[in-house]
Amino acid sequence: MSVAKIDVEAIQDDVFAIEKPEALLVTYWKRLRRHALATVSLFTLAAIVLLVIFGPMIMSQLTYYNADQGEYVNYSRDTIDLLTTRAGPSLEHPLGTDELGRDTLFRLMIAGRLSLTIAFSVVLISETFGLFLGGVSGYFGGWVDSVIQRFTEFVVVLPSLPILLTVASITRGIQIPFLAEEWTQSIIIIVILSMLNWTGACRLSRAMILSLRNQEFAEASRALGMSNMQIIGRHMIPNTLAPIIVNATLGLGGVILVESALSFLGFGINPPVATWGNMLQDVQSDMLGAGFWKAFFPGFFILTTSLAFNYLGDGLRDALDPRLKL
Amino acid sequence: MTNYLIRRALQMVLVVFVSTIVIYTILQIAPGGPLDGLGRQNGDQKSEISDAQRQRMEQNLGLNRPGYLRYLGWAVGEYWIDELGDILGNPGDPETQLFITGTWSDYQSPTCQEAGGTNAGFVVADGLSRPCARGIVLFDFGESWSVAPGRQVIDILADRVPPTVRLLTTVVILSLVVAIPIGIISAVRQYSVLDYIVTTFGFFGISMPVFWFGLMLIILFGQKFRELGLPFFPSGGTNSFPRVARGSLQDFLAIDPGSAGDYAVHLVLPTIMLTLVYLAGWSRFMRASMLEVLRQDYVRTARAKGLRERTVIYRHAARNALIPLITIIVFQIPGIFSGAVLTESVFSYPGMGRLFIDALGRNDWPIVMGFLYINAILVVIATLIGDVLYTIVDPRIRFE
Repeated sequence: MSVAKIDVEAIQDDVFAIEKPEALLVTYWKRLRRHALATVSLFTLAAIVLLVIFGPMIMSQLTYYNADQGEYVNYSRDTIDLLTTRAGPSLEHPLGTDELGRDTLFRLMIAGRLSLTIAFSVVLISETFGLFLGGVSGYFGGWVDSVIQRFTEFVVVLPSLPILLTVASITRGIQIPFLAEEWTQSIIIIVILSMLNWTGACRLSRAMILSLRNQEFAEASRALGMSNMQIIGRHMIPNTLAPIIVNATLGLGGVILVESALSFLGFGINPPVATWGNMLQDVQSDMLGAGFWKAFFPGFFILTTSLAFNYLGDGLRDALDPRLKL
Repeated sequence: MTNYLIRRALQMVLVVFVSTIVIYTILQIAPGGPLDGLGRQNGDQKSEISDAQRQRMEQNLGLNRPGYLRYLGWAVGEYWIDELGDILGNPGDPETQLFITGTWSDYQSPTCQEAGGTNAGFVVADGLSRPCARGIVLFDFGESWSVAPGRQVIDILADRVPPTVRLLTTVVILSLVVAIPIGIISAVRQYSVLDYIVTTFGFFGISMPVFWFGLMLIILFGQKFRELGLPFFPSGGTNSFPRVARGSLQDFLAIDPGSAGDYAVHLVLPTIMLTLVYLAGWSRFMRASMLEVLRQDYVRTARAKGLRERTVIYRHAARNALIPLITIIVFQIPGIFSGAVLTESVFSYPGMGRLFIDALGRNDWPIVMGFLYINAILVVIATLIGDVLYTIVDPRIRFE
């Protein structure tokens, strides 16, 4: 009884040596690179993220001459300098100072951390929730689908900005125990924004799953005895990921805008904690003072970030799924 | 179709009903209220109020009622509370809720009690204010708590509607007049320079923090122009009555303060700010819709018939491309209405949105609820009109 030994590896080598298929991610990357603006956006975003993470770290080690305290102090978010208020750009304060003499550049970078954290959290939570709910809705159909769809329609119909403002205004007094104030405010804003933001992902994943559900591979999985949850988790959701990722990227720009608008109106994150929105808060009353210096850069960062996310989303749409039209 | 309309109308009523309950409940359980801070100042005897005063104020505002009665009082009025209490045997917690007569008439406002708990036989000129609240179903939104204490909310809202409507009408008309031709041209000349400009502009429009754009407009056309001695624009309000500022645009053009021209000048900057958003969105949409239509067979047929390109584009393609744009705009109208919140805040423009922000900041819930209620109604009506428009403009769509 001797069986000829089969050299599996050699056979595999033979097969793959002819033409090694390109990894999917490489394909995506190549396609994305073709979209010039999306590539630029990707690098811009990377630069902004690096800036807001490492900028404050480095800058807080440096010192500047604080005229009010009469000595050199480290840069920080809240250190005021009442003798150097509303200053234009200088070597010590590259982007000037605000009405309390705080360094605008430092506040801008630390604000970016919070604004970006909020945007990523909201999108992560709402897209995951929407993906799951839409998946269940589309896969099971019937009354489950009806209930979820009516609920989605209800949330879509709600006038979102007034509701956001209302909820944000009445949760202003809430303080989560053992948490810093800025985290309480951020968590509340994240929850509120997520609550109204999941409907797009839900509809998208439902539509995708409705078309996937009856295809042969789903049929085959069912015949092999996979449970419903396994099929949703292993086959359905991975197949809907492409449009969801595109939707999420486009959503990031939107969330940054809404969060900054809330903070601007005074219903989001409140000073002294800085976000890009609330740094613009009292520009109107301060128009005669440092109006321009105070107002320009936070808004410019909001615009750049949001624009970059939108272009990146546009590029990803072409790269991930050329057939896709959102 | 009739069946569909009836079903949708019922659904709409339900949506408005559920959303008012949800919002009302959130407002009730929220910390802080109109009496928050009163009588709590430590050490300051003068500003403290006695418990009796507090109870009186709570009764005035209807805050002593249990939650469900508060909602019902807001929705359908309070004139029935006494009688319903009698029928039910006045259940409730006598210690905390019923402190005067021990019946549900304590839940009525003092003016209502004085009138005997009913509006019967009571005639007033304006037809709105009655001793007993009649609820929003009869357009009684109650009295303002803190923005304009004692004034009827509906009167306050009525004052604020015209400025907002003026602003929004200008914005919508201007956006449409510009967006439609731009969309058509950039679709017909796809990949031309103009097309690239339009698409880039569209991306900027959706990514722009509008309030920042508004601030920049004020700084440039209000502040910098004034500094440079150029005729500058007013930075807020609806008019400059009684006197225009020296060197302003009205002064330059010799426009009388308070005249129509004065109002128009005040509209310019807010209109630019709000138009940017809708212009960008709608021209993008029109372009996409037009590109879709230009691929259709009937456009090729029209060309094959030898029609002039002009006729093909305007008579055959553009008219069909307009259909989705119109429906999307109908859906968006309530959104424009609430989107004015930001614009009006930036320009201190005394419209509905500004009122809403003021009311939120000062816990004036009757105004907040009134605004949200009107908004919810607008949304469902717009949704229904949009759905019906679909069937009218495109008879292939049928609702079962």
